[in-house]
Amino acid sequence: MEMSSSDKVGTKDLIRRCEFVRVIIQSLYSLGYWKSASLLEEESRIMLQSPEISLFQSQILEGKWDESIATLDCIRELSPEARNSAVFLILQQKFWEYLDRDDTSEALVILRGRMSQLGVDKGKLHMLACCIISRSKREEIGRKLKGGDESRRKLLNELRLIIPPSIMIPEGRLEHLAELALLLQHERCIYHNSPKDSISLYSDHHCGPDQIPTQTLQILHQHEHEVWYVQFSNKGDYLASSSRDYNAVIWTVAGDGDISLKHILRGHQKPVSLVAWSPDDKLLLTCGNRELVKVWDVQTGNCKVTIGKGSSGFSSCAWFPDSQRIVCGLCDNGICIYDLEGVEHDTWRGERMPKISDLSVTPDGMNLISICDEKDIRIYALEAKTERVISENQSIMSLFVSKDGQYLLVNLNNQEIHIWDVCGTWRVPLKYMGHKQGQYVIRSCFGGFDNAFVASGSEDAQVYIWHRQSCKLVAQLSGHSSMVNCVSWNPANPKLMASASDDCTIRIWGVQQARPSLKNHAHASHGTCI
Amino acid sequence: MGRLHLSYLDGRMYTCKYCYTHLALVDDIISKTFHCNNGKAYLFNKAVNVSLGEKAERMMTTGLHTVADLFCIACGSIVGWKYEVAPDRIQKYKEGKYILVMRKVVDFDGTNLGGGNESQAGASDADDAGY
Repeated sequence: MEMSSSDKVGTKDLIRRCEFVRVIIQSLYSLGYWKSASLLEEESRIMLQSPEISLFQSQILEGKWDESIATLDCIRELSPEARNSAVFLILQQKFWEYLDRDDTSEALVILRGRMSQLGVDKGKLHMLACCIISRSKREEIGRKLKGGDESRRKLLNELRLIIPPSIMIPEGRLEHLAELALLLQHERCIYHNSPKDSISLYSDHHCGPDQIPTQTLQILHQHEHEVWYVQFSNKGDYLASSSRDYNAVIWTVAGDGDISLKHILRGHQKPVSLVAWSPDDKLLLTCGNRELVKVWDVQTGNCKVTIGKGSSGFSSCAWFPDSQRIVCGLCDNGICIYDLEGVEHDTWRGERMPKISDLSVTPDGMNLISICDEKDIRIYALEAKTERVISENQSIMSLFVSKDGQYLLVNLNNQEIHIWDVCGTWRVPLKYMGHKQGQYVIRSCFGGFDNAFVASGSEDAQVYIWHRQSCKLVAQLSGHSSMVNCVSWNPANPKLMASASDDCTIRIWGVQQARPSLKNHAHASHGTCI
Repeated sequence: MGRLHLSYLDGRMYTCKYCYTHLALVDDIISKTFHCNNGKAYLFNKAVNVSLGEKAERMMTTGLHTVADLFCIACGSIVGWKYEVAPDRIQKYKEGKYILVMRKVVDFDGTNLGGGNESQAGASDADDAGY
């Protein structure tokens, strides 16, 4: 059998044959195929590691400390500092093993003797000395030895970090390289809308635009005027919408994505500007435009409580994660917290309070995020009672917080959508552009598997979808005949999305294979993918 | 039309005469001495809930200015104009500022300050010697 004697493998002249084979041998050993591994070593005449290293490894695992140090000295490629650090770790292990056998005098000998001659950080030596005296200090460092093996293996891993990788290859090297390649393919796939592990090693991965909802499956005609808001429930089995016709509607979402009418909620005397599902999906809040807030029972469709009679009205409202309290932004400046009986629990009012146009509580209950005085995003930590402000240069139209409470999305006056992180580590936001937004409240949302996408309405009657990480526009969906005010992506079904428009309809979008026919005398429409 | 994003002001202010949308605060008045074909007009530092028309050059008593008409974003009625470019150094202070014609607006307590009939918002202004 002929063996190619070339130095490199692969088509791009990047991979050294010797390194490639060694990494394969290592993974064969770790997979448990010992016979194949040693056969490969024989056939290729490339050893995974030199005999000294193999000896060294077995000496460490067997606890032959002095012999292992001697072997270490035989390895020529080791720098003096690396040698000293390695010897320190080996002696430290010896020290610990003596301590665990309660052989404190021997432990002391090591500490005083060879360890202090190594010239390592005195602080470490002092800490070890403390451990001889105090048992609690020992526990503090977390040394709970059950048997020699576990900690000796750990020592070996620590030594691998000090010894140059070409002498002793880090564990799992081939698996690590394969994973990096898969992750890169996943990042590059801008249409990817399914779990990461659906990527195979067999071919380079890239999804097509058929993975995201771009086909109109259904058109809902219930409302008699512009539909301003639409949102799927947290578990994805209901949809709620609200309209300028003063009503809100609850819809049922069937398993196959078919939407049907459940309840019409009448009672507001003004256009209903938003709805909010309680975290347990049992109740729905509706907020009239600068009017009252009503709490509805999802199953019966009855209004349980009306809040805000006699006040100047609310601009927005949101639930606390316990589904027991709600927070509302007041039109005459300030915030109020109510319980389900409509009783005020807490309030921040007064001249100095900002004007709140939108607000949200993160699902973990840690932060209250509000849009104040049009341009500020205020993130208020409820427990610590501290606040952080992100100031935008343009007026903010709407706010959306991700389900995991990590990110917030704001639509701005200047036709940009910004994502900020709630923790505050980002200096600049991620930006998304291409849609049209002037003076009207247009809302956006996160969606798809793992919140991989950002979707938004637009004044040009289209729904826009961007790939979140790369900020690339991946789809522009036409079909509505008038401004799209709001979009909502089903949290339980990454291939189902709803949009609300001034043309008085709600469109349900999905992927091609799901449903071949259209419901409700709908006009067919298609989205264009970029 | 969608849900209009309106700004709301606090305090004494002027609102659109037809739909009462908030337009500007009394505190933001720079000068009360302007005039146009339609009567008195005030110069404001800032105006909200207005949209701008096309820029156009107009001859005023103080020279050729570039202005853009202001429209109420809720009802579309014309409420004044914004100075974009002034002809010389003396008039420069007007740049970026807003004129609201009093006949088109209403005080917070509902008093109509302009009085009389409306016609197209005018093209002339006059400055007080003191400014």
